[in-house]
Amino acid sequence: MTTLLKVEGLTKRYFGLTAVDDVSYEVEAGTVVGLIGPNGSGKSTSIDCISGFQPADAGRWSLAGVDLTGLAPHRIARAGLTRSFQTVRAYDELTLLENLCVAAQENDGIGWLQALLRGKPLRRADAEAEARGRDLLATVGLADYAGAPAAILSYGQRKLLAIAASMMARPKLVVLDEPVAGVNPTMVKRIEAVIRKLNGEGVTLLIVEHNVDFIMSLCSRVIVLDAGAKIADGPPSLIRSDSRVLAAYLGKARAAELDAEHG
Amino acid sequence: MKALRIAAVVAGLVALFAIPQMTRNEYVLALGVSFAAMSVIAGGLNLVYGYVGLLSFAQVGFFGIGGYTAALLVVDRGWSLWAGVVAGGGLATLVGLVIGYSSLRLSRHAFAIVSLSFALLCMIVARDWVELTRGAMGIPGLPTPVMNLPWGLSWRLVRPADFYYLLMGVAALSHGLIYLVVTSRLGRAMRAIKLNEPLAQSQGINPLAYKLLAIALSALLAGIVGGLFVFYLTIVDPSIFDFYYTETTLIMVIIGGPGSFWGVLASSAVLTALPDMLRFTTDLRMVLYGIVLIAAMIVFPGGFGGWLHRRRVARWRRPRPGAPTNTPSITP
Repeated sequence: MTTLLKVEGLTKRYFGLTAVDDVSYEVEAGTVVGLIGPNGSGKSTSIDCISGFQPADAGRWSLAGVDLTGLAPHRIARAGLTRSFQTVRAYDELTLLENLCVAAQENDGIGWLQALLRGKPLRRADAEAEARGRDLLATVGLADYAGAPAAILSYGQRKLLAIAASMMARPKLVVLDEPVAGVNPTMVKRIEAVIRKLNGEGVTLLIVEHNVDFIMSLCSRVIVLDAGAKIADGPPSLIRSDSRVLAAYLGKARAAELDAEHG
Repeated sequence: MKALRIAAVVAGLVALFAIPQMTRNEYVLALGVSFAAMSVIAGGLNLVYGYVGLLSFAQVGFFGIGGYTAALLVVDRGWSLWAGVVAGGGLATLVGLVIGYSSLRLSRHAFAIVSLSFALLCMIVARDWVELTRGAMGIPGLPTPVMNLPWGLSWRLVRPADFYYLLMGVAALSHGLIYLVVTSRLGRAMRAIKLNEPLAQSQGINPLAYKLLAIALSALLAGIVGGLFVFYLTIVDPSIFDFYYTETTLIMVIIGGPGSFWGVLASSAVLTALPDMLRFTTDLRMVLYGIVLIAAMIVFPGGFGGWLHRRRVARWRRPRPGAPTNTPSITP
């Protein structure tokens, strides 16, 4: 398998506190990889860094061999790494379809002048984006609201819209920041189904989540962070029984107890 | 629907250009010139504030820079008015880009403060740099512009109606350009930046580029209109940078609804005419004007455009028989 995302020695400090401490990992093309860890373990900070929203203090990262270290967020997005946000973001006043089309417009090679002159290339690109937007809305089950402003969506529906939007520009890697946090169990199932479907179409995903069951059922590999450092990296079955992971989640005493019970 | 809209725009333009044929009332023509100038400044401000979401007080500065540049080039250097106006628009654009680029590296708030300081600074420079600007007395007696037309014809802008046609024409072109931008995907990206900047960035949109585009376009149009407007006044002095223009155009944008092209255009017309319509009671005129503004804020808190958005949301939220319900669907 080819390596898509390669992160080496990522470090981020806030004054005295090291939020992300020399973390390295790789994501192979076509996989779904989970990034988990207790509160404050540096999950969100690490993806804020690789998507350009926080400047990293040290480390390098690249996507399909292209170095992305230190680039502005929009350049990283254009290079093929898109993301969703923990606090769901949508353009409330735009329709769902517009929400999706705007997410593709910087990647179709249409310049400002072409956009103003409204010639054939623009019309073709717009038609293509609209078709893809409608497809994605159908995938996430929001096709009936294509023309509605995003303001009418429920919280869970906004999460689905955000996932669809992050797929619009045909990215190489999609990073989802807590796609199911605060979502009811039925909607969790639905989001899981959507992610499986998109992965089946060849999209690589890196998912940050608190919901361990969700991650364990969805991901082929799980990376665990604790206090800013990587403590485990492997398939879900191994992560479940890793003593350092148990200690990080349950405390050392309870982890030792479990260890004794299960031998 | 689209044909209806085009017909309405054509009818509106014809009506505006027919007014000087129907009346010789100079006051009406003066109102028309004032509407043309203010609506372009307001339209540019709408682009900056209503579309990319940057509160700007700099518009009056661009307007005045255009006015001073055109006047000085014509009077001191003997340029033609048209070259002077283009230079004024160009200089205003350049200044706008410098202000925007330097302050937007910090934040939106930095831009608001810098734009305000810039407008105040413009007035101080105009008043105190006497060798260049002639100081507080300004440059009076600006010459009558002449436009050389093909076939040896020329148009001397002597009558108020001439300036009415000129400024209305420029305003129509300016609004056409603004409309072209805001209805294109550029306008969509600008709205995206205002509505949720980090999300826009995560989708490959470069906020700085679109913000600078909006600022540059608004500065260009305000500079051009300023250059023409001072020749209508026949004088340019530091009062061209008066806060009155900032206040008026801000009110036009806020009442019209930031981000609503037609709303701001309509409110520009209404707010130009309103003080005049209230002329029947001289004592209470400004009081009534204030009451109308307050009433507008109560009825349309988000401006006219905001009201339209709220109605659209309400319509989609209303349960409709046979239509999909708006509760989260349970079937995966």
